[in-house]
Amino acid sequence: MISLRRITKRSEPYVLAAIILLSLLIQVRSGQFFSGNNLVDLARSLIVPALFSVGCMMVIVSGGIDVSFPAIASLAMYVTDKLLLASNYSGNVILAYAISAGLGLLMGALNGFLIGFLRLPTLVVTLGTSSLYTGLMFGAFSASASDVPPSIAKHGKEILFTATNPTMGLTSNMPSQILILIAVLILAFFLLRYTMLGRGIYAIGGDETAAERAGFNVRGIKMFLYCFVGVLAGITGIARISMMSYADPSTMLGMEMTVIAAVVLGGTRVTGGMGTLTGTILGVALMTILSNSLILIGIPTYWTRVFTGAVIIIGTGVTAHQTISTRRRRAQSQKAAA
Amino acid sequence: MKRRFLLVVSLVMVFALAVPLFAQSYDPMSFKSKKPMSQWKIALVPKDATNAWFVRMEVGVKQFAKDTGINAFQKGPAKTDAAMQAQVIEDLIAQGVDAICVVPVDPAALEPVLGLALSRGIVVIDHEGASQQNCLYDIEAFSNQGLGQTIMVELAKMMGEKGVYTTMVGNVTNASHNEWADAGVAYAKAHYPNMTLLAAEPRVEIMDNLDTAYERAKELFKKYPNLKGIFGTSSLSSPGVARAIEELGLKGKAFVTSVGLPNENKVYLKDGTLQSVLLWDPRDAGYAQLAMAVKILKGEKIENGCNLTAPGWTSMQFAPGSTKVLQGKGWITITKDNVDSFGF
Repeated sequence: MISLRRITKRSEPYVLAAIILLSLLIQVRSGQFFSGNNLVDLARSLIVPALFSVGCMMVIVSGGIDVSFPAIASLAMYVTDKLLLASNYSGNVILAYAISAGLGLLMGALNGFLIGFLRLPTLVVTLGTSSLYTGLMFGAFSASASDVPPSIAKHGKEILFTATNPTMGLTSNMPSQILILIAVLILAFFLLRYTMLGRGIYAIGGDETAAERAGFNVRGIKMFLYCFVGVLAGITGIARISMMSYADPSTMLGMEMTVIAAVVLGGTRVTGGMGTLTGTILGVALMTILSNSLILIGIPTYWTRVFTGAVIIIGTGVTAHQTISTRRRRAQSQKAAA
Repeated sequence: MKRRFLLVVSLVMVFALAVPLFAQSYDPMSFKSKKPMSQWKIALVPKDATNAWFVRMEVGVKQFAKDTGINAFQKGPAKTDAAMQAQVIEDLIAQGVDAICVVPVDPAALEPVLGLALSRGIVVIDHEGASQQNCLYDIEAFSNQGLGQTIMVELAKMMGEKGVYTTMVGNVTNASHNEWADAGVAYAKAHYPNMTLLAAEPRVEIMDNLDTAYERAKELFKKYPNLKGIFGTSSLSSPGVARAIEELGLKGKAFVTSVGLPNENKVYLKDGTLQSVLLWDPRDAGYAQLAMAVKILKGEKIENGCNLTAPGWTSMQFAPGSTKVLQGKGWITITKDNVDSFGF
C-alpha cells in the first residue's frame, strides 16, 4: 500500500491536479477541451518538446544540465535537409532520420568528451557547444529557411487518423511522428528502470564519488548520456521539419528554456538524482496545454506572457519548496538520531 | 572573483546610464563624412539573419556594394530577438562603422544603443520602425496606412465584405505590424459595415514563428466558429494560417492574407487555400536603406521626392506631420498567376 503521505511528497500528483484543473477551466470557458480534434492538436504540439524533454530529464537526473539540444537538433536537421535536397534523394525517410541522428551523435559526443573525460562543468560546455553549433549553422552553412526534400514532405503527410469535431465539423490530423515519441518513451523507460546504465545515471546524480566507488563507470555513463541526447535531438529535428514541411533553422532555438522548465515542473530535482519519465511528460503536457489554450480560455494576447510566467513560477516554486522541506526533514531526523 | 564580477557589473551599469536615454535631436547634415567614399563601412542589421525575407534583403545589400564599390554588408542576430539585435549593433559600433541601417525587432528596446551610435557620429537609418526616436530617418516602402488598407481590401474581397475577422501580428511590440493592423481595422469600419472585428481577441501574436501562427489559428477557429477572416501582417502568418485552414477543413470558408514571400505561399496559392498575398521586394528595401545612408554621408539634403534609386523608392515623401519618416510607393499583389515570376 502506498501511503497518502508518500504520494503528497511526490510532485506528479500536483502537476496532474494542475492539468486537470486547467483542462476543466478550458472546457468551461470554451466547451472545446475534450473534443477529439483539440486533443489531437495538443498531442501534435506535444511531440517535439516531449522528445527533447526525455534527454533533458536524463541529463538533469545525472546532476548535469544541457542547453545545447535545440542547437544540435537544428544543425543536424539542417545539414540533413540540405544533403538530401542536393542529392535529389526521394527514397525512404528513414535515411533522413539516420543521417540526422548520426550527426546528432557526433555533436553529442563532443559534449560527452568535454564533460565526461575532461570533467568540465556541464552548463559551460553545453552553452559553448550550443553557440558553436548555431554559429556553424548560420556562419559556415549560412542557413536560412528552406524547403524539405520529397521524402520528408511525404513523411509529413502520413497521418494515423483524423479526429473530427462533431458540432463544428473541424478536423485535425494525428501525425505519425507520435509513434516516434512513444517508441522513445518505451526505450527510455526500460533504460532507466531495468539497466545498470540507467541506474548509474541516477547514482552519479545522487553522489558522483559514491557512484564511482561503487564501481560505476562514471565517464562512460556521461559519454553515453550526451551521445543519447545528441541522437534524440537529431531525430527530433527531422520530426519537427516533417510536420511543418518547412525547414526553418531558427524555429527550435530557444526551446531549451521551456523544456527545462517543463522537466523541473515535472518534479526532476535540479540537483540531480531524482526524476521520473511520468513527471517529465506531465510537465511537458502542462506547458503544452497552457501555451495552446490561452485563446481557448479567452485570455487576450497582451496577458498571455504574464499568465505563462506566473504558472512557471508557481509550478517550479512548489517543486523547489518540496525539495527544501524534504531536505530539512532529513536533516532534522539525522539530528534526532545523533 | 566575486568582487571583480561586481566591479564589471557596476561599470556596465554606469555606462548604461551614460547612454542618452532620451532622444536628442541631431542635424542630419552634420553627419557628412570626412573620409573618402572608399573607406566607408555601412552595415545593415535585419531582424533575423536566417529569415528568407532578410536573406532576400541581403541580395539588395550585395547588389548595392557591387554597384557602388562601397563596403556595405548585412549582419543580423541568429533569431528574432530584441536583446540579441542590440548586441549586434553594439559590436558594429565597436567596429567603427560609418552608418547603421536597422530593421528593428522592437524600436523601444533599441533606443539606448542607437542613441549611443548617433552620439558617436554614426548615421542611423531605420526601416519599418516609424516610432524610433534615435535615428536620423526611417524609410518605409509605403505608408503603413496604405499597406494596412490594401491588406484589408484584399481580405474583404475574399470574405465577400461580410463576417467576423481578427488581426495577427508578429509581435505585439512590432510597430509596423500594429500600424498596418490599426489602419486595416479603421478602413474596414469606414467601408465595410458588414465586417466586424472579433472583440475578444482583436490582436493575436505569433512570436514571428510559423508554427505559432499555425497553432494560434487552430485555436482561434475552434474557439470562434463564426470567425471568417484573419488579417495577417508578418510574412509567416499566411503560410501558417493557411496550413491550419487546410487541415481543419475550412478551405473556402475561412480566409487569410498578409505580407508574404512567393515561395513560402506557392503551394497554398496554387491549391486555392490562399487567394493572394502582398509584397514589396525586400531586395529593393535593402538597396534603398543603403542609398539613404550614402546620401547622408555625402551631406545631401533630404527633401520630398528624393530618389533612393530602387524600384518604387524613387520618389520618397515625408509622412504627414513628420520630418523623419519617409515613404515610398509600391506593393505587389501575388496570386497563383504571378507567383512563379519572382525567382525567390
